[in-house]
Formats: sequence, structure tokens, C-alpha cells
Amino acid sequence: MGHIAFQAKGRAVELDSDYVVVGSGAGGASAAIALARAGAKVTLVEAGPWRDPSDYPHSGYGTLRDMFERWGTSFTRGRAYWPVLQGAAVGGSTVMNSAICVRTPADVFDAWQSSAGIDGRSLAQAVWAAQDELEAELSATPVPVAARGRLNLLAARGADALGYENHFMTRYVRDCQGSGSCLQGCHDDRKQSLNRNFVPELLTRDGDVLSCAPVQRVRIVRGRAHSVVGRFKHPQTRQPGAAFEVRARRGVFVAASVTGSPALLMRSGVRHRMLGAGFRTHPGAPILGCYDEPVDMNRAATQGWSSLAYRESLGLKFETLGMPLDLVAGRLQGSGHELMERLREFRHLAMWAVACRAESVGHVSVDWSGRPVVHYTCGEADMRRMREGMYVLAQTHIAAGARAVLPAIEGFPYKLEPNEIELIRSAPIDPRAYVAILSHLFGGCVMGRDPARSVCDERGRVHGHENLYVVDASALPGNLGVNPQHTIMALARHWAKQAVETGKC
Amino acid sequence: MIWLIKQAMLPLMPGSADLPGLADTKLDAFLRRMRRESDPLFWAGIVAGSVLCAVTPLITLGVPLPAFLLPTRLRMRHAARLLVHRFYPIRQAMLLVRYAAGLCWGADPAVRAFFALPAYPADPGTFRSS
Repeated sequence: MGHIAFQAKGRAVELDSDYVVVGSGAGGASAAIALARAGAKVTLVEAGPWRDPSDYPHSGYGTLRDMFERWGTSFTRGRAYWPVLQGAAVGGSTVMNSAICVRTPADVFDAWQSSAGIDGRSLAQAVWAAQDELEAELSATPVPVAARGRLNLLAARGADALGYENHFMTRYVRDCQGSGSCLQGCHDDRKQSLNRNFVPELLTRDGDVLSCAPVQRVRIVRGRAHSVVGRFKHPQTRQPGAAFEVRARRGVFVAASVTGSPALLMRSGVRHRMLGAGFRTHPGAPILGCYDEPVDMNRAATQGWSSLAYRESLGLKFETLGMPLDLVAGRLQGSGHELMERLREFRHLAMWAVACRAESVGHVSVDWSGRPVVHYTCGEADMRRMREGMYVLAQTHIAAGARAVLPAIEGFPYKLEPNEIELIRSAPIDPRAYVAILSHLFGGCVMGRDPARSVCDERGRVHGHENLYVVDASALPGNLGVNPQHTIMALARHWAKQAVETGKC
Repeated sequence: MIWLIKQAMLPLMPGSADLPGLADTKLDAFLRRMRRESDPLFWAGIVAGSVLCAVTPLITLGVPLPAFLLPTRLRMRHAARLLVHRFYPIRQAMLLVRYAAGLCWGADPAVRAFFALPAYPADPGTFRSS
């Protein structure tokens, strides 16, 4: 069969496969290729379309339309309405993220052992071994000198001046050109998003890919995952197409994202009090610096610099984030002539962001139509830490030579001079005052040894269902404090291999 | 409805002698395209924000007139006050309107030329078929 894209209404599409994998992002594509390399017949089912670099958008409008699920209209229900950004394409969020590669810190496994009762040490060894493989396969390399650009070089200068650890990021990018278009999909085809490697490889191994194919539910018969069913949906017109059913002889792997996986299991009739629980995230807030010389933040690797110096003490991660003009224009504070004067400085702006390993916990539910809804409020302690991180980044901007910083906090001055940045430490901690975004998501189908307190076991297998697995970040029982893609891919690979080797399904 | 959204957006990004404003862009075509292509929730949010903008000068300026009947100066002041309104949903609604306005303005070739940025090629909107 190969690749089956949107099919108009008519005859249903029916396939049989050893394994069915729902979702083609970091977890799904990694699990699928591991299964296929082990000799299994695999069908990968993805809700979004399959886009290649020649299909990628260029503008911010096009990015919202073509890369983000539902135009980025998912947002948290809680104290503040914070956007929840997820990719919607073959390759999932790997197509529109910055391909950041960070190995799973040891303390994460310790925390999982403590909170979820899993064998942290064994899992750590397995994950790190898988990460060794992935780094080789996907060309994990530090940002090359020529691609760093002033956006990232200034961050390094500032951090070095203040004396805290920092580094240029390692990413799955082969010979980065620094074109600053990670968010839109890498037009230079250097980013190793999984639509460019694992998914095409799956086709060469007799696998099938269904795209534009949102799975409505997993059909479970007497406790066994039997098939996945749904209806094709046109990515532009949103018109429903033909029905499909993909039957799984051996097992179903769910990797539909932190919001999608619990929702899918709920729609499939999986009853578990922990389903949807344990939602965690790394809320991220920007702080811009304004420099005398042009920064041209889009002429650089989009996210090329990072620091984990405050990860253990405050649970913070710092990153650069080059944003295009059309996505910045409507987000700077102000309006009218005041806004236009501020926009004149665009070339002189450098956007950096603090991501917080928040301790706040939310949950995922479904609405009347079965769509996921994220309930989350970032608590006071997390907001204080995020605020402190913004202060450190403000100091870093000044140390790098910025003449002012833009904290983007509601009710706060638009611009702070170097001698005013201390004010950030007394900024409001109400989440409604911040423009934060959630892009690293965890939980919803958390793993654990105790079936009463977890949805799946430490092999990703849903409790009570011998051949139904969760292989994405929804299985993680805590957030990581580092970018999660490398962890998700490694876990998915490990669990998929285990499933085949143990032959339990 | 396009007209109403324009009335909400235009005061947000006025032009000047050297820097084009939103009125200098192809805003009509942009909004028609957005109406056709956007997620229904996204479009509903833009519409809601624009309606809100139209009917609330009474609370921001004490003027009992729809915003589109106000002189430009007052419309700008009204929009600015909505964006910082103490009632969070009002702020968020106007933020979405401004965000969408920025998508149009920041993609305009003349605006991009001002910032020494190349014009965007057309968004292909294509994807692999079977």
C-alpha cells in the first residue's frame, strides 16, 4: 500500500498490520521504525498531512495554518489562557520545533523511581543506549559557528560575563545554514525532523503510512487492542473523507501527544481514574533585549544557545528563540503610533526565553466532541521561579550589551533600563500578566508500577491491556527540566524493541 | 464582518512617512483568506474581539458610540485601553486581534523591505498525496 493520504468519501480503507502506531511525532515515528527494523509489518497513522520541505510554509500565517494543530488555538483552561502548541503533520512537532537534542539527566530517572516505583537505573541505561544510537542516526551536532548569529552569540557573551554555564545547543541538524526557519520547517532540509528519515524509511521496510487520518478510537475487544478506526480529514477544507480501519495482529502503540493520547484512550473506552491526570509542562516566557547594533535574530539558528545552570537550583532552562517579524509584531505591547515606534527596533531585538520545570499539575479531559481540553494553572511558586529566571536573563542581556530589556509583563513598564531591571523581581506573579507558551508537555497517561496510580507500566503498556502501549510524552510521570524530544524518542524505541523481543503481544 | 475586523485592526498599526502601516497592506485579501482557511475557533476569536472593540467605547472612553464612528485619534486610544483592560478576557480578545494584524503587517513585502528582510515566497499549502 505505501503512503495513503486523504481519501474522499467512498469505499472505506482497510488494512492489516502486525503493529499499528497512532501518531508520527517523536514517539510514534521512533516506535514505528524500531518495530519495522525488527521485521514487523507496521502501519503508522497520522492525523496531519505529510509535508516535505518544498511544501513548508514561509510566513507566520502559513506556519499557523500548515504546521500547528488547529491554528494553535489550543489553550489552557485555568487562571490564564496559555497557548498549547503542538505540531500537526507527519513527523509531528519535530517538523516545527528546533530539533534540540538533550540527553535525559540522571535525576529524572531517580525521580521516576521515587514517584512511580519503576526501575530507574535499568531504564536509564536503556534510554541512554538508545540515545547513543539516535544521536548517530540523526546527526546530533552542536550549532556550527557560521549558523550562530548574533542572537546566540550575544547570549553566550552575556552568560560568560556573568559566569554561569552555557553552551551552543546540540540539535539533530545536519550542516545547519542558520536560516532561522525551524518554526516553519527547515526549507534547507538540514533539520532531521522525522518526516525526513524514520517515516520514509518505514515505507522502504514494507510499512504503510496513513496521513490526514485522525484516529477516532482504538477498538478494544475483550481487553485486546484490535484495530484503530477513524475517518480521513482534509487538512485545508477540514471536510471528512473515507472511513478507515487498520487492524493490528499484535499490538497498538499510541503516540498521539500529551493531549491526544489520553483523549484517544478515553474515547476508546479505557476506564482509568488516572487517565488524563498528571499533566505537567515547562511554561516558557520571553524576555527581549534591545541592542544598539542590529541583532537580526532570524539570521541565526532559531534556538542555538542554552543554559542549564539554574536547572537544579531553580528548575529553569534558558534558551534563545529567534522569531520572525510577523510573529513578533502582534505580540509587542502597545498599539497605534506607540507600537509602530517600538516595532522600528525589531532588528535590534534579541528574544531569549526562560522555561520553568513547573511543579504545578493539571489534567487533560475531553469536551463534548471528544477533543482534548487542558486544565492547568501555573502555581505561585512556579511563577516566582519563572520570574527569577526572567531577571537572570535580563541581567544577561545587560551583560551582553543591551541598552534596555523588554519584560513583556502586563502592567509593567514596556522597557527597563539597565538600572531598573531589579524591578522584575517585584513584578506580579499572576499568570495572567505573562505571555507564556506551553510546548513541552508531559503526563496524561503516566507510567508507574502501581496500576492504581498509573495508566501504563514501565514498558509503556496500558494496565489491563496486554497489547496496548503508550509511547509518547504522555507516559512520563514528571517533567524533565530539559527539552524532551530525545527522551521521548529513546523511550519509544526502547519500549518498541521490548515489545517485539518479549513477544507478549 | 471583514469590514468590522478591519475597523478593529487598523488603529493598531498606523503608517508613517517611511514605515507602512496596516492600511498600506493587502489587509482585505488577507482577511478573506483567513476567513476561508482558518480554524473556526481562531476566526471566531477574531470576530469576537472585533465585535468587542466595536461596542465598548462606552467603557474605555465614556463615549456611547460604536468604535467605527469615532475619529481616528479616539479609536486608537480606545484600542490601547482595551489591550490593557483589567478584565482579562477583554485583554485576551484584543490581543488575538492584534496578533492577527501582525501576521498581515509583518508579512507585507514593503514592511519587510523596511527591515531589510526578503519578501516571503508564497506559502505552498501543498502536501504529499498518496
